Amino acid sequence: MKQNFLLQLHPLTKFYFSLFILVAVLIIPGYIFSFAVFPILVLIAILAGVTKEFLSIVLKALLSVLVIVFIMQMFFYPGDDVLWKAGIFSITQEGLDYGLLLTSRILAIGAVFILFFRMTEVRDFVKSLEDKGLPPMGAYVVLSTLQIIPEMRRQANTIMEAQKTRGVETEGSLFVRAKAFIPTLTPLILSSIASTEERAITLESRAFSAPVKKTSLHQLTKNSADRILPIVYVVILAGLLVWRFFL
Amino acid sequence: MKRSFKDDFNMMAMLLIPIAVAVNLVGFQLANVLRLPIFLDTIGTILVGVIAGPWVALLAGLITNLINAIFNPVYLPYALTSMAIGVGAGLLSKYGFFKKIPKTIVSGIIITFIAVIVSAPITVLVFGGATGNTSSLITATFLASGQQLWSAVFSSTFITEIADKVVSVLIVYFIVQKMSDRYLSKMNYGYLYMKRNNKK
Repeated sequence: MKQNFLLQLHPLTKFYFSLFILVAVLIIPGYIFSFAVFPILVLIAILAGVTKEFLSIVLKALLSVLVIVFIMQMFFYPGDDVLWKAGIFSITQEGLDYGLLLTSRILAIGAVFILFFRMTEVRDFVKSLEDKGLPPMGAYVVLSTLQIIPEMRRQANTIMEAQKTRGVETEGSLFVRAKAFIPTLTPLILSSIASTEERAITLESRAFSAPVKKTSLHQLTKNSADRILPIVYVVILAGLLVWRFFL
Repeated sequence: MKRSFKDDFNMMAMLLIPIAVAVNLVGFQLANVLRLPIFLDTIGTILVGVIAGPWVALLAGLITNLINAIFNPVYLPYALTSMAIGVGAGLLSKYGFFKKIPKTIVSGIIITFIAVIVSAPITVLVFGGATGNTSSLITATFLASGQQLWSAVFSSTFITEIADKVVSVLIVYFIVQKMSDRYLSKMNYGYLYMKRNNKK
């Protein structure tokens, strides 16, 4: 099976791209460029074949924030150039501009990071950071966190069902619902921390903290695009900086 | 007892971090399921601060927000808040603030101030004052009644954080009370809370 070229790029190449967009969006004034970034990201998502997940997460995570940020700026940003007025509410040109600027930046920067994680396995990203010098312990912590979360959610549901069986109320007034929180969370935390001892023993039995170089079954390769692209980013950014501050 | 920076990151402390991050996320989810009006999404971070120290808690707070940011980048700037809360909880624990309920409540209030001081500027500078959670509505109300943006954000953040953080520290207090001496003895700051130790 031939893999997608974009997905096959080295994780750090994709990560540098996200940082590149972040810096570019902050350098270039006005909201037109930042809004233009989004269609480009959608295009990349289509080429990488992750359009559906990308768009659904953008909608879920960013849409409400964008709407609220925009409304807040439109109504409350100080300005004199009044476009529309009703009672205590007024929309000013300055507020509209600032709202568009802020939302365009949040959209561009938020979307590029969402796209990054749609195109990169966290496992690969952590491995690439490990190659760059992140201690193996750090990599282990991040990856085991991702594994523990769904496991703990299941366990929380189990404990809640069990507590309901023995008569803890989870419906009703606020106070009744609040009282159900502690009998669910306490056993969850206590049983989870009890399992850390077993993890420690297991890791130590595989010489995890031994001060030697570790080998890995999971290897990442760099191709020529991975060597060229970071240089391209830096050159473009340098050009932008010169254009912005010296011309 | 004097210890170096590196001693804080022993194996048991590092293994506590994934648990803490998961507790943060699951606590938030449980609060949602039970339709509680507070977030309870820093219980894990505070717990780590209390039993494993400020630096481990800083890392736990950072990882919590990084993992949240995978699905919602809005959380990313607030990593600073989580880290500050972790360090604050750790330092308070070091000076014995989590041993009795009254002092625990005081530390909850201190942590609230830390959270407000760090997160309100992020809300104003990065998001222009609102991110779409419950406090946005309060911010808008303050603004409509003529307050300045900074004071409106500070006061609305304070209102939403105070109950959240005081309840969180109390939950942490009760959980630490229930931990066994055997486990606490393995944590850096655990000796503060061991029952046998406290009888003298």
